[in-house]
Amino acid sequence: MLNGTTSILGTTLAGVAQHAPESSHGLVEAAGHGAQAVSVGAAWIGWIVLLPVIGCVMAGLAAALKINSKLPAWITVGCLGGAFAVTLTMFLGFDSIAGGDAFVVHIYDWINVSWIGAGGEPQALVANIGFYVDKLTILWMLFVTGLGTLIALYASEYMAHDVGAGYCRFFAAFNLFVVSMSCLVMADNLILLYLGWEGVGLCSYLLIGYFYKKPSAVAAAKKAFIVNRIGDLGLSLGIYLTFVHFGTVQYSELFASDALQGYLAAAGSGDFAAIPATAQWIALLMMVGAFGKSAQLPLYVWLPDAMEGPTPVSALIHAATMVTAGVFLIARVYPLFLASEYALPTVAWVGTLTALLAATIGMAQFDIKRIMAYSTVSQLGYMFAGLGMLTTTGAAFHVLTHAFFKALLFLCCGAVMHGFAGQLDLRKLSGVAWMKGWGIVGVAMLVGCMNLSGLPYITSGFYSKDMILAEAFVTPGYAAIGWILVFTAGLTAYYTFRVFFRVFVGPRYFEPGDEHHADEHSDLGEHGHTEGDGHAALAHGHDAHDHAHGGFHPHPPGWVINLVLAVLALCSIGAIGLAYIETDHHGWVGSMIGESSAAYHSPYAEAAHHAHVEGVEAHAVSGPAGSGTPSGLFGMDAHTAMIYISGGVAILGVLLAAFFHGPVGIQGLLLGGRREAATCRMDRVARLFGPIPRWAENKWYVDEFYHAVLVTPLRVIAHLCHLFDKFVIDGIVDGAGKLPRALASLVRPSQSGQLQGYAAGMVGGIAVLLFVAAIIVLIGGGS
Amino acid sequence: MDALISPLVLYSACALGAVGVVLALPRRGASWRVPGTLLAAIAGGVVVLALGLVANESGQLPNIYFYVFAALALGAALRVITHHRPVYSALYFILTIIASAGLYVLLAAEFMAFALVIIYAGAILITYLFVIMLATQSPVEGDDEFQADYDAKAREPALATLAGFVLLAVLTTMVFGGLGSLRAPSGAQHARIERLALATMPQKIERVLRDTPRRDDSGEPMRDADGRAVMMVGPDERVVRLPAIEGRSMVNIAEGSVLVEMPDGGTRMTNPRDWPEELGVSNVEMVGRNLLADHPGTIEIAGVILLMAMLGATVLSRRQVEIDEEAKAHEARRLHGLDEEGVAS
Amino acid sequence: MTGVGPVILAQADYPEAMGTITLAHYLFVSGAMFALGLIGFLTRRNMIIMFLCTELMFQAAGLALIAFSRYHLDHTGQTFVIFVLTVAAAEAAMALALVILLFRKRESLSTEDWTEMSG
Repeated sequence: MLNGTTSILGTTLAGVAQHAPESSHGLVEAAGHGAQAVSVGAAWIGWIVLLPVIGCVMAGLAAALKINSKLPAWITVGCLGGAFAVTLTMFLGFDSIAGGDAFVVHIYDWINVSWIGAGGEPQALVANIGFYVDKLTILWMLFVTGLGTLIALYASEYMAHDVGAGYCRFFAAFNLFVVSMSCLVMADNLILLYLGWEGVGLCSYLLIGYFYKKPSAVAAAKKAFIVNRIGDLGLSLGIYLTFVHFGTVQYSELFASDALQGYLAAAGSGDFAAIPATAQWIALLMMVGAFGKSAQLPLYVWLPDAMEGPTPVSALIHAATMVTAGVFLIARVYPLFLASEYALPTVAWVGTLTALLAATIGMAQFDIKRIMAYSTVSQLGYMFAGLGMLTTTGAAFHVLTHAFFKALLFLCCGAVMHGFAGQLDLRKLSGVAWMKGWGIVGVAMLVGCMNLSGLPYITSGFYSKDMILAEAFVTPGYAAIGWILVFTAGLTAYYTFRVFFRVFVGPRYFEPGDEHHADEHSDLGEHGHTEGDGHAALAHGHDAHDHAHGGFHPHPPGWVINLVLAVLALCSIGAIGLAYIETDHHGWVGSMIGESSAAYHSPYAEAAHHAHVEGVEAHAVSGPAGSGTPSGLFGMDAHTAMIYISGGVAILGVLLAAFFHGPVGIQGLLLGGRREAATCRMDRVARLFGPIPRWAENKWYVDEFYHAVLVTPLRVIAHLCHLFDKFVIDGIVDGAGKLPRALASLVRPSQSGQLQGYAAGMVGGIAVLLFVAAIIVLIGGGS
Repeated sequence: MDALISPLVLYSACALGAVGVVLALPRRGASWRVPGTLLAAIAGGVVVLALGLVANESGQLPNIYFYVFAALALGAALRVITHHRPVYSALYFILTIIASAGLYVLLAAEFMAFALVIIYAGAILITYLFVIMLATQSPVEGDDEFQADYDAKAREPALATLAGFVLLAVLTTMVFGGLGSLRAPSGAQHARIERLALATMPQKIERVLRDTPRRDDSGEPMRDADGRAVMMVGPDERVVRLPAIEGRSMVNIAEGSVLVEMPDGGTRMTNPRDWPEELGVSNVEMVGRNLLADHPGTIEIAGVILLMAMLGATVLSRRQVEIDEEAKAHEARRLHGLDEEGVAS
Repeated sequence: MTGVGPVILAQADYPEAMGTITLAHYLFVSGAMFALGLIGFLTRRNMIIMFLCTELMFQAAGLALIAFSRYHLDHTGQTFVIFVLTVAAAEAAMALALVILLFRKRESLSTEDWTEMSG
């Protein structure tokens, strides 16, 4: 019956889409796969969650047993690798489990409450530990577990200086993060998703504050947690409203509910007035949650500070997986967003503005890890823009490619940070790629930078970004977004290659940071360098003689880090192939998304895509379908135009970076003029802009603004509450305590401790008793 | 319930006594001891006098020695609590004990009278005296300035006396009011109790009867052929005992005569006329019987209490002797005849 | 004056039953002695004297017991005076040991030096 309903609705929606083309984003085509979830007994899927749980427990046990080796890391790598293998099995066997449909695996009952509602009808709140698996789930789980495994491997070496209790703590939280993320992604209901959502927040807090003796790390952890709370409030309210309005929090029931399908039909015809405001508010509230978790305006401020955590954490949690939870949330409950008139346009604009703002800040930063953090915020903005413009495929594809190349970039930065004792200032490092042992890092960094910049054809980042940009130009009303995003793409290319030209090429030079690891890891034997190597590298540096580093020698990464970097670089490049398979569905990611709850495509994009694939006659088809709206640019279809536009912008950004920051010679593409680490042409140019670069370097004073507008008033209120509590509440409580005390002080003198006092009390008592007895006897005798 | 004496007299006497006691209690400075004691004595005398007037009407006036001993006991008791030297207090307490013993004798409790003197005056008070001497410095005679403050000054004398005399007033009211409802045993009942007690003492009866001569009708002692006096129970005869009841053998003393078994196996009843007047049970016998026959368990408990008190007192008052190692070593050297440097002297 | 006569000891026999009013005399003496003991206990600060006063109260109780024993012609009263004596002796032994212990600690017999139980 469900299948019947949805198929009818699907055709209805498709028909509606034909008849109401002028609606802004209501032109939807419901694939409706999400509604067809069937329950299966494939409980082995639970191992995806259970294996990291085991890893977490064993890491905790290792801490309890005071194990002083890398054992927790290998346990983690093993468990996460196992989880990845199970995920892969699930992916490959997806068609055989439930015939290619989404399915629900019930593990055990968690919340199952039923009661009779106010109106007399039975109601139930059912939220079980169960997994809702469709291809969206699989897509996310593949890179969560895969990247988790790789980054755990990387961390095994990166965290080696902390072997002991800290090492165990790190990997316990790492495993717990994967558990929570798996819960979030695979949950079959919104409450389990919320559990995972809070779990990843907790792990993020724990791992940002990993160096808990560092005040800045503690502050950053608190900031991340508190800012996320604001978003989480929105999400929890959204979940509550979902339950209130739809009576269920289970995806399978929610997507199949008649109410939601009715709203989708109404939205398809642009008749948003027919949808209750409650239902529209759900998406807006959940959007707030997504903004918090995925660091969008105005809640992005926590993510740059989160770089206080160890770099593997930044790579996995704050670049690849957790911050995409917001994207996942919106994609997962996409039908709810479609049923809201303002949610998706808001998402698109917020994403776009975030992308621009973060890119401008990123341009002016000097800390390479922070630059990567702002680029993450910026790229997340692209994803949200994609979601808002109805190209869930583009957003998901960008999530996937971004996960690889941003993890790669972070891990490269981490390797530099690790090798140069925490040095991250791009003015104090130069020519790292030419130092001995740093070749693979240099190449991997180049691959990552090219992907982030989106150089045409040769990078996967280009294809995913292109999909979003093209969507902006083919969807009516979003051209402004398109131009902003294109401009941002240029900025992205510039600041990305700024890092590359400053740090990895040019004259060899370094100043070590202040995180000296006393043992220099020479006892671990994994770094393949001796002191002689360090001296050799220094001896050939141009400026090496001028700087005495107090015996410091940079140590290049060991084989583990190099291996992970190489694998990630290959993945980043290999992801290009995903755009060229299954082109009928906009690439492999499209085929995945197309069979999930996020499966909605703008007909414009559909048309543009076909035009891109099939050529001119498709273009002719798209014209009438667009019915007067622009479906392309400069006479080309959007995708073709994007190859030239965004590709050109990206190359321009790279050349500008080379000109302003590149070293002299071929290393700077023959454009650069930098001869030393600290100064470059940009310094002179920046002066022309007056104070603006300084403002950008200070993040446009957003933190200060928040502090003045939000934190200070709250602090004043808190102080007032404190005073109220101290004087009024405490006064009442203390008064309640003091009253008996005051009463007792009346009789306390009787407890003088004087022996005779007590004796006198006894005598008095006896006298009174006898007196009473005498009276009674006398009166009784008299009567 | 009729008051034995006028409440007005009783209560004003109590108040008077209270004032007297307050005055007599020790204090620094001017001493009111003598007038206070006199006042208290007058108050006591008033009550006793009032009682005596009532008793005279009904012919129940107590023995004259009662007044002597009562005055001694109460006067000494007053001095016990008013004397500012503990040793004198203790000595006055001994006087109280002795006067009380006199009262006990008047109350036909001569065993308890002697026990009281022996135990209290002889044992307990001596212990008190020892402790007093242990714990107080010997004062200079007649110099009150050196008196310890806690001996020289009474604490809240007025309030305490008030409490005590209110209690006394209430107590005497109750007692005097309730005496009318007491039912004392009559002489006949008492004789029966007496005889029953005697009946359980066959050996005593036999012993006395063997020393009591038989008399003939004229009242002369009977004599046998050898001219010797014939006793109520002859050398070859014995008093017939009833079957034992609860392990006690008894004798049937019916109307002042017992059954005597003669040597030839025959029995005869003794003549009630011959019954010795002095044959009765003494106070000691009665107390002993009561104590051992009726309260054997209580005696055991009392014994345990005394044992525990002895052990407790030993443990509590033992002085912790601490000799440090150096002193021990020094002593050891001294005992071995070595000087401080360890060289034999 | 019938009251003035030889003291009759009960060696051979109990005399006539004692009159109620005669009993009242003894009970008054007992009560007065108890009151004096009580007043002494409350007013004197010397611990030894205080215990002496408790003995005085014991004595008053003993006198009342003996008087009632005489009145009722029942020897149980006398028996109980024996137990009172026992308890008094035990109490005296313990109390005096305690007094010595306390005196050693504070060099004082005053109860006012021992007020640790004050509220």
